Amino acid sequence: MSTTHSTQTQPILSAGIRSFTYFGDDASVLEGIDLNLVPGTFTAILGASGSGKSTLGRLLSGWLPPRTGGTLRGFLELAGTRLDFGGDREPRINPAEWGRQVGFVPQDPAAVLTTVRATVAEELAFGLENAAMERPAMKAAVERTAALLGLMELLERNPASLSGGQLRRLAIGCAIIAGPRVLIMDEPFASLDSAGTAGLARLLQDLLKLGTAVVVLSQVVDTPLLDAGTWVVLENGGVTGNGTPAELQAGSGLLPPGIRASGGEPAPAGDHPGAVHADTLLPRSGAGVPALELRGVSFGYSAGGKEAQPRNMRRRDLGGKAAGSGLVLQGINVRIQSGEILAVTGPNGAGKSTLLRHLNGLLRPTEGSVLVHGRDIAGVPPGEAARSVGLLFQQPRDQLFERTALREVRFGLDRLFHPDEAPSRAMEALSAVGLAEAAHTHPAELPASGQRLLALATVLARKPSVLALDEPTVALDGGGLALLDAAVRSAAGEGAAVVLVSHDLDYARAAAHRVVMLDGGRLDG
Amino acid sequence: MRLHPLTSLAAAGSTAAITTAAASLPLSLAVMGAAVVLSARGGTARRLLPAAAAVLLPLGLSLLVMHGLFFPEGRTVLAQWGVARVTAEGLVFALERTAQLGAVVLALLAFSFSVSVPDLVAVLSSRGVHGRFAFVLASTLTLLPAITSRVERIRQAQESRGLVVRRGLHRAAAFRLQAVPLVLSLIEDAGTRTAALEARGFSNPGPRTSYRDVPDPILQRVLRAVLLGAAAAAVAARLLLTPAGS
Repeated sequence: MSTTHSTQTQPILSAGIRSFTYFGDDASVLEGIDLNLVPGTFTAILGASGSGKSTLGRLLSGWLPPRTGGTLRGFLELAGTRLDFGGDREPRINPAEWGRQVGFVPQDPAAVLTTVRATVAEELAFGLENAAMERPAMKAAVERTAALLGLMELLERNPASLSGGQLRRLAIGCAIIAGPRVLIMDEPFASLDSAGTAGLARLLQDLLKLGTAVVVLSQVVDTPLLDAGTWVVLENGGVTGNGTPAELQAGSGLLPPGIRASGGEPAPAGDHPGAVHADTLLPRSGAGVPALELRGVSFGYSAGGKEAQPRNMRRRDLGGKAAGSGLVLQGINVRIQSGEILAVTGPNGAGKSTLLRHLNGLLRPTEGSVLVHGRDIAGVPPGEAARSVGLLFQQPRDQLFERTALREVRFGLDRLFHPDEAPSRAMEALSAVGLAEAAHTHPAELPASGQRLLALATVLARKPSVLALDEPTVALDGGGLALLDAAVRSAAGEGAAVVLVSHDLDYARAAAHRVVMLDGGRLDG
Repeated sequence: MRLHPLTSLAAAGSTAAITTAAASLPLSLAVMGAAVVLSARGGTARRLLPAAAAVLLPLGLSLLVMHGLFFPEGRTVLAQWGVARVTAEGLVFALERTAQLGAVVLALLAFSFSVSVPDLVAVLSSRGVHGRFAFVLASTLTLLPAITSRVERIRQAQESRGLVVRRGLHRAAAFRLQAVPLVLSLIEDAGTRTAALEARGFSNPGPRTSYRDVPDPILQRVLRAVLLGAAAAAVAARLLLTPAGS
């Protein structure tokens, strides 16, 4: 099976995977996969969460060397050197040698960082330093890569201060700076706003012209993937479709329902039409005390960073403007009634996450006040505000800290409900997001979509009357999106006020009663 | 002028050696003052002063008790309770020793708070210190801030699910809830980061270069030699000129 339709036929990287099994697992994760990646071609590997995409990506890129991570039966062939696995004498992959030819950008771009380099430029240069490149050549390579990725302005910034989108570009830069002949990216478009997506699409075209074989692993058919030469469809670890986008696109019936189209609409499933307001009554405006009200809320990072940033947070967690330059939020006024769903959209770094963290007191406004059911939460510890306000963090790994999914959901439930009631409520919440089977799984072992849904379950189990969701659609596949959609509708139906933040305007329009835009620290409705 | 890390290290080290050798109260006080002023100008005084106080207060108090009350050579008795005599000489001696120690501690702390870790690592790598060691050194120096921010993240997740944390002791007590998740998440993090570091050639056995250019002007090299020479001279003078027993 060839994955390309190029005139060049000599693949740079080929794989023939009969099976791959993680150590300690009985069932194989991947089976019967044949790939040939030819220079200058663009391949999209599409699969729902848990289909084995990330395992395949890590295997191809040498991040998961067979023998250390699991058992591979089959072969990998890079630049004419073929390694056969599953025999008596297992070959050993040298990750550094492999990494010089194959660049990889994982789902979580922060995982690439060394954490000890002081600037973006030095982070980019880390791989070159290890290859003992002379400084002038290194400088030139850093500048060339930064120009390609639009990172020129950020070269002297500390990597820990970058926003999610900027971090993604840095991770790509680290992967391509040494000029690999293959670039593999896992969900690169997740959490990028439209400008970021367009920029990355242009970069891909540039790399293709330079002769790089580009592979994108994704559970969402993002617009740039329509330009791919080949789509490979992965389901339950095996290839179920292979062809051009035109042959496989929606309507062909060849894409499994877990793969969703760009724009955030859930996969067409009868139960979940995707538009919440279609069947949810709009709450009567002005009726009684609003569930949530923000009065003239402003927030900024002071020059010292201490006063207005009392919890000493990393800037990356917050998004928002550059350090010390004025206000991230300026005079925000908004009222949300019980049962209402409000969507806040805006570009990457607009301060959307900063806004949400004000709702339960994790951040305190420098001016103005936050009222929950008419009560000002100034001075109320976040742990108490959390009785009414449930917050879904932007990064599930910031939300999850327990050893099993069930313990994760149970945390703190004892304080809200009768101790005898807590276990059943926890199981109920896990079932509501389809994770009942995974109750005893370690959260880190769940696929990205499962982690997001588990984080959602921890919030839903508390039955909060105000639900604050930060980029809830990111990393969700079609099935996950339908579950999220149902959960949001049911919470609003039961009278919860929902504030959801999303860079995805289409999803926001489909899901919310009201959409407001946060840009430059101000809210425009 | 940006100080080369080795220059500031030489300055701090030789200052400590010279003040110890000289054992002069005015010099010690001047060095303490200078260290605090330099640190304040560099914006690190807020971290320097508590750290210095944590080291010096207990030391100074014990010196005061020891020498203030029980100083055999003391002649001018200010007060007396049985065998314990407060003598003026004893107090002066305790003050001198405390100031001497204070100068050494402040000079070295001022250095460690002001030195740029990336510069130091780059210099060490370029001087042939193994890349892996330099990385471990840098990780160690950046570990505390990394752990602090991780604990903060875990606590925020817990607070968002109803953990009420109040200031002071409550915060310390709540830490036990964050300790296990902290250790587990650091281990998990290390696992994923290893793959990234390996793929970027971190384990390459060969030579390495450094992107960070730390200029080492001739003037600073001369200055370092002068400082080290002065420190050696001060120590030698102390050993040769002081009669035995004093």
